[in-house]
Amino acid sequence: MFDVTFQFENGQTTVISAQEGANLLELARSANVAIDAPCSGNGSCGKCRVKLLSGQLDCLPTSHITAEEAADGWRLACGSRICGDVTVLVPDIASAYQSRMKTADLSSGQEIAIFEKLMADVSAAGVSFANDFVQVELTLDAPTLDDTMPDNERITRALEAALGVETVAIPYDCLVRLAQVLREGNFRVWAAGERKGNTFRLLDVSAGQAPLCAAAIDIGTTTVSAVLTDLKTGRLLAKASSGNGQIRYGADVINRIIEQGKPGGRRKLQKAVIDETLNPLLRAMCRSAGVGKERIFRLCVASNTTMNHLLLGVDADPVRMEPYIPSFFRWQGCKARDLHLAAHGDADVVIAPNIGSYVGGDITAGVLASLLWDRDEFTLFIDLGTNGELVFGNRDFMMSCACSAGPAFEGGDISCGMRATDGAIEAVTIDRDTMEPTFRIIGEAGQKPVGLCGSGIIDLISELFRCGIISPKGQFQREGARVRRDAHGTGRYVLATEDESATGREVSLDEVDIDSFIRAKGAIFSAIDTMLRSLDMDVTVLDHVLVAGGIGSGINMKNAVNIGMFPDIDLEKFEYIGNSSLAGAYAMALSPSAEEKTYGLAANMTYLELSTNPGYMDAFVAACFLPHTNTALFPNSHPEA
Amino acid sequence: MAFNPKMQAFSAHINAVTLGTGDKSIVLGGENVLPFYTFDAPMENKPQIGIEISDLGLENYQAPGFQSFYEGCATMADMAKKAETVEGASFLCLYFEGADPNGHNKSVEECVAQLKEVAAVATKPLVIMGCKNVEKDAALFAAMAEALQGRNALFLSAREEDYKSIGASVAMAYNQKVGAESAVDINLAKQLNVLIIQLGVPTGSVVMNVGSAAAGYGFEYVASTLDRVKAAALAQNDNMLQMPIITPISTETWGVKESIMPEADMPEWGSAEERGIEMEITTAAACLACGSDAVILAHPASVAAIAKMIDALV
Repeated sequence: MFDVTFQFENGQTTVISAQEGANLLELARSANVAIDAPCSGNGSCGKCRVKLLSGQLDCLPTSHITAEEAADGWRLACGSRICGDVTVLVPDIASAYQSRMKTADLSSGQEIAIFEKLMADVSAAGVSFANDFVQVELTLDAPTLDDTMPDNERITRALEAALGVETVAIPYDCLVRLAQVLREGNFRVWAAGERKGNTFRLLDVSAGQAPLCAAAIDIGTTTVSAVLTDLKTGRLLAKASSGNGQIRYGADVINRIIEQGKPGGRRKLQKAVIDETLNPLLRAMCRSAGVGKERIFRLCVASNTTMNHLLLGVDADPVRMEPYIPSFFRWQGCKARDLHLAAHGDADVVIAPNIGSYVGGDITAGVLASLLWDRDEFTLFIDLGTNGELVFGNRDFMMSCACSAGPAFEGGDISCGMRATDGAIEAVTIDRDTMEPTFRIIGEAGQKPVGLCGSGIIDLISELFRCGIISPKGQFQREGARVRRDAHGTGRYVLATEDESATGREVSLDEVDIDSFIRAKGAIFSAIDTMLRSLDMDVTVLDHVLVAGGIGSGINMKNAVNIGMFPDIDLEKFEYIGNSSLAGAYAMALSPSAEEKTYGLAANMTYLELSTNPGYMDAFVAACFLPHTNTALFPNSHPEA
Repeated sequence: MAFNPKMQAFSAHINAVTLGTGDKSIVLGGENVLPFYTFDAPMENKPQIGIEISDLGLENYQAPGFQSFYEGCATMADMAKKAETVEGASFLCLYFEGADPNGHNKSVEECVAQLKEVAAVATKPLVIMGCKNVEKDAALFAAMAEALQGRNALFLSAREEDYKSIGASVAMAYNQKVGAESAVDINLAKQLNVLIIQLGVPTGSVVMNVGSAAAGYGFEYVASTLDRVKAAALAQNDNMLQMPIITPISTETWGVKESIMPEADMPEWGSAEERGIEMEITTAAACLACGSDAVILAHPASVAAIAKMIDALV
């Protein structure tokens, strides 16, 4: 056995003992050391770099590390085996920023207003926000030697009287704590629970009044966001987000599915999302709102089909294999206790229903929130995530499809990409003559740049193309101080030098990044094109385009059209609606009617499989060009003369 | 009632690109009808045939027919003189396969010297085919374009990886014609044309090689690509696809098993040389029928057959 020491840039270390021949990346994972490995250890992405500080590693040769870098000690964790005691440095890469948890500041009221407006809009469309959760104050007679009724009967009688119900169910968790709470409160207590017809299901008894909470969670392949809300008022109590802890098992759903298929894999991925991601988020929100986790009485999870299978620990392999049939589309009956979630054990966990293997609950929840189903006009709903999903239709019909855009919109797979959090460059303009950039960074004034988020990448590529700095294929064709090239001649545009960035590393976008992004935008546009064409329509029929996703605080739609990501139609038809999946989950968490509505929407949505569509590949290749191979589709987009 | 034919001539034309100079010069393209649809409108210029000769002589063409036809030829220039006598072939295609760094790795100077000898004796237009190695072709074509100044030659090919250097040297510095080569995909073909034109190469200097395959080797992709390129150029007036199409045939067909399996190993297949000729003819005929404006062949018998077919149809 040898000692393997992982040293972090902040000086902390983690030591794990390992056998000879053990794989370094696997060891890092078992020691909970986050090393970025989007390709899941295939040796193809070159991101799992570590620096050898002392000792030896048995390494496979790789083209991702130059001879110079190798001499400096850089190695790929996935291609390294243990052959002695060793210490490696785990670099604090941009993706470390990506997985940091962030609790939103609700003090401005801006976030709260978004959800209040949503609740008003969805109510106006006829979905009731009433639910059956109630909280009553009970004043019980204290037991005496003459009044010998046990605690459970005493509170049951009081509840029957107060609520007019015939039966009261007291779950085990309540029973356990009942004696103490009643006596602490001098038999004046608050009882909270859910009323179903003539039955009352008691959930919590507390000495003082406390909010009844619901949690809505959007589990994205890359990013997880959640809100905590008051079940009775719908008011937002807390909001938080973080990277999905499963990221180190692969950047996309396919790599995750492969990983969960390995022995013990399902448990490992389930732990990564629950123990490392959801529970810290839930606890942080409870802390921020000042409520106990046992006050979360209902949860709703909106996520893609793979993510909800992995959350439940259900084998996701069939999602990947033809004929692509998952274990469930709609499934009810999950309790927080089943998943060990940081919430009341008896809380129902509502899973937003899936439509297909690649159109999941994040989309059905998003469609609910988008109100597409309540519109007369033709509306296109686009969710820009690791998978791009589209829903087209109106109150009469809805059609959905999915395309694999990759993690580029959320900053994944891009050398300086990051989530839209502090330090992310979210908007860029370039001066055509000097080639100098101007940009806006998320965070407080004076925040230095860390990386680029999706909206920043869209702006940058659009500007590089407009200024003639890159060709329609995304290759650099103008030289200047901002354009640098590596030893292989791969060009990059430098937004911030080593001295100007927050991390001491250059913030730039290279030709490989641009190529990844062109593929991502090509996947989106070709999916739009193919879906409309399958209905014998074209982009001129679109009255509204609703864009959702955690791509940034907003997208410059003009730039998104310029690079050929969205169709060239009147810009006023576009609307950025933010994280609609989370918004839909919020509505479903609060309202059983919204939950029912979503099941109805899912049942009425048709699913178009693009991978078997003969025209899709052709449309995709045509769209992998700036703005498009068919320039007639984008008459207004061209480099400035 | 009298038969009243519906004419389908288009208002759009394929670009007419001249190769060579003087009375032996030829024009590729120029038509406004689908291939051989002479019942709709006459084809402005009939499809052209080139005959391929290699800098390696007959190293890769061992069939007796080649040996007897080029008998006595000691140099590439000798072979060029002989090839010029083949009726039906209106241009020479000089294939510098020996420059390949993974093969004979002949130097640029050596190849240019060979080219100059050929150019001194050849009277028909010249098409230069490189070794397909990106770096080598860039150096080779730059030197050859300079050596052939004033000859209005066509260089095959500029690809996505090397269009910048080849476009700049061949077409812009020395006013030669450049072939844009893509791999059997209409969108990739168009994207490359856009890039080359944006580079500053005049539209009239660009010819396309949209890729090919021997008949039976995924040819349906070739057929549909050619079909769609022609339809987009003529019916949709897509000016980024109106370049005439040249398709090298011999380099595809003389390597497949139908052409090279010795008769001794497969007696029921018959003469190997006849099979090779048939593969070449079949593939060329199919490409022409789908929209190629020129084909490049190696065997004199194939040239004769295809020339006869073209004359019968135009």
